[in-house]
Amino acid sequence: MARPTEDERRIFELLRRHPFTRALPENHLQRLASIASVCQLQPGDYLLREGRPVDAFYLLLSGRVGVEVYQPDRGVIPLQTLSRGDAVGWSWALPPYRATFDIRVLEPTEAICLPASELRQLMHDDPVLAVSILKKLLSMVASRIQATRLQLLDMYHRENP
Amino acid sequence: MNHSPVPHPALSMPTQGTFPLFFRVVRRQRETPDTYTLWLEPPAGTPFAFQPGQFNMLYVFGVGEVPISISGPAHDPIPVVHTIRAVGAVTRALVNLKPGDLVGVRGPFGTSWPLEQAQGKDVVIVAGGIGLAPLRPALYHLLHHREAYNQVVLLYGARTPRDLLYRRELERWRGRFDMEVLVTVDRGPREWRGHVGVVTTLFDLAEPFFQPANTVALVCGPEIMMRYTARELLRRGVPEEHIYVSLERNMKCGQGFCGHCQFGPLFICKDGAVFPYPQVAHLMTLREV
Amino acid sequence: MPSSTANPKASPPQIIIKKTTLDDLIQALQREGYQVIGPVLEQEAIVYRPVTQLKDLALGWIDVQEAGSYRLERDEAQRFFAFTVGPQSWKAYLFPPREEIWKARRENGRILMEEPETPPRLAFLGVRACELAAIHVQDRIFLQGPYVQPRYARRREAVFIIAVQCTRAGNTCFCVSMGTGPHVREGYDLALTELEDTFLVHIGSEKGAALMAEIPHREATQEEVAEATRRVDAAAASMGRTMDTTELPELMRQSLESPHWEEVGKRCLACANCTLVCPTCFCFTLEDVTDLTGQEAVRVRLWDSCFNQEFTYTAGRPIRVSIASRYRQWLTHKLGWWVEQFGVLGCVGCGRCITWCPVGIDLTAEVQTLRHMYGRASSPATVSR
Repeated sequence: MARPTEDERRIFELLRRHPFTRALPENHLQRLASIASVCQLQPGDYLLREGRPVDAFYLLLSGRVGVEVYQPDRGVIPLQTLSRGDAVGWSWALPPYRATFDIRVLEPTEAICLPASELRQLMHDDPVLAVSILKKLLSMVASRIQATRLQLLDMYHRENP
Repeated sequence: MNHSPVPHPALSMPTQGTFPLFFRVVRRQRETPDTYTLWLEPPAGTPFAFQPGQFNMLYVFGVGEVPISISGPAHDPIPVVHTIRAVGAVTRALVNLKPGDLVGVRGPFGTSWPLEQAQGKDVVIVAGGIGLAPLRPALYHLLHHREAYNQVVLLYGARTPRDLLYRRELERWRGRFDMEVLVTVDRGPREWRGHVGVVTTLFDLAEPFFQPANTVALVCGPEIMMRYTARELLRRGVPEEHIYVSLERNMKCGQGFCGHCQFGPLFICKDGAVFPYPQVAHLMTLREV
Repeated sequence: MPSSTANPKASPPQIIIKKTTLDDLIQALQREGYQVIGPVLEQEAIVYRPVTQLKDLALGWIDVQEAGSYRLERDEAQRFFAFTVGPQSWKAYLFPPREEIWKARRENGRILMEEPETPPRLAFLGVRACELAAIHVQDRIFLQGPYVQPRYARRREAVFIIAVQCTRAGNTCFCVSMGTGPHVREGYDLALTELEDTFLVHIGSEKGAALMAEIPHREATQEEVAEATRRVDAAAASMGRTMDTTELPELMRQSLESPHWEEVGKRCLACANCTLVCPTCFCFTLEDVTDLTGQEAVRVRLWDSCFNQEFTYTAGRPIRVSIASRYRQWLTHKLGWWVEQFGVLGCVGCGRCITWCPVGIDLTAEVQTLRHMYGRASSPATVSR
């Protein structure tokens, strides 16, 4: 493997600290660093648009993005916000690799960007890396579902008797 | 740390019997469309003191009586502060009172937040909805004796931005360098610039601000919110016996006589409303208990 | 409350009075300012009502009780206390089913509070062993916590207790299992055992001794004392029910999620009869009412029941929705949580809840079923109190 560039070393450090990737062994982190970049996102940017191909998997470093959906008679409905330490989406891992919701940037946001096809190739080449990432992805999906179920309960709502 | 129930403060108040004393409303403030805060002045010469987490029985002449937690600072207890959400006949009558009106007061009753045991530790306060009201005296206490505690973190979730209690105070607290305040709503309009998601989703953000093993957590909100919050705290390594919850049940007398608030072997009014989580965890998942 | 034991010199602890002398006792109590409450016949049942003379008492009746049934028959022997316990208990007098606890009046922008009248001094005539045990259970609830119920305390302090030893057991009785009877052992001013033409009287307090000093009596013979004991022993030997009390709280805890509650829930009507007739059930509600002008408000305390759906209304919704959950609450409270809360079981073995259940649910049978289900079938034993 080629010597890591300055950028790769920096990204390696960021990945080592990010909750999504921090448990991965060093060689996996190095491989992820070799395909990753850090991107700066501005309010109004979209990371994902419903129905469109997913280009990348984002690990948020700072700022805030919103998961949104549009409904003609209600306009844009914010569903959830994601911020530092969160990972954005799992559509990149599941065919047909298209987004199911909009992800809009709400505040200036910094993220590690992992290009989707390269990431999938890495996982295809190294099943051990794939298992680690999918396990982490599963736990993220599980906690999102739990949060969504609680949200559905509308637990603070009390109808007046 | 001792996780036996918080002991009762000595009964020394003339308001702690079966007869209400009438306090005068001196101020009323709207917090949300259905929630108001009342400031109540006791009759001249009547002492009143309480501990954070305790509640009073508030009586509206001829209408009825309900338990309402005390929301003001314990170090400055008069006038007595109550934040009330209008959900029934009595609470509706209470929020419609005006300065000058009289309110019958019995109390304070119940156990309090374990603020002495929490000294020297990180304190994480998790509030859901109106659950911030019984926790506010604990926050006042922590900030009043700030040097006695390590980190102070408040995680607060409400239904929508307009259901957030004490907004000005939240902003003030957020501006402080010696505490972390994270706020979320279950559903936010597009203009809401804050966090959207249930209160448990704030833990990822709060992670850098407290050491789970050295943390005392005070939790109040709907029971289901407290269950999932307790699990989240446990998952992150907060010791079970350092988690405290405040429960709610129908109450008539406030003194452990009327039987309504029984929760297994416990009387919520007398043995609680603040409980160490291990004391009630098994009951919180028992149906129709 | 009877506190001190009698001075044996003033009058012997066991004496004999003629049956008609009971009237002297009633008169003496009234002279002392007591209102005497005793067993009378009313609507085909024996209930406790104010009495002023001996002939007010229900003389010559026997009750025949079974699960869901109560019937009176003539007693050939014309005894005063051959029946056991009826639908009512002394709870109705120490902790009345409906009581004003305060009154408030608006006057010139102020609210004036009024305390209700001091309750009358009562003398209870005919308190059985299980009922005395029940009174002691309620004492723990209302007098021994961090708070005290002042109205109960006043009534209780003033009460004069004439106990009666049961010489017959009913078909739903199980005081022997519960360790509460039938021998009356403490907590009374006087205790009577009905013999052929006389009553053997045990003196249990100074107050009792003082009262007996005014009443014609003679010392009891050893034979009379032995005969009285024999009669109560006979009652002990003929209990209609038994309940195995071994580790009852543990059994209740293990049964919390038992499917058996659903089965009882199908039979139970949630009528609340069991809680109303129970001498230890203490739950109440408070009602605030105003007069038509809105100037006067009254707080009334009323017996409530954990069988009522509104009982658990929290922010407008009941928590114990199913009848099964309400029966579970009642039984696990009586036989389980009660011990944690008050240091004793909440059941004294009087059997009222069995007799007065319209569908005949029998807690001794339900406990037996739960024991079979949870493998705590056991040797006969009684709980120590």
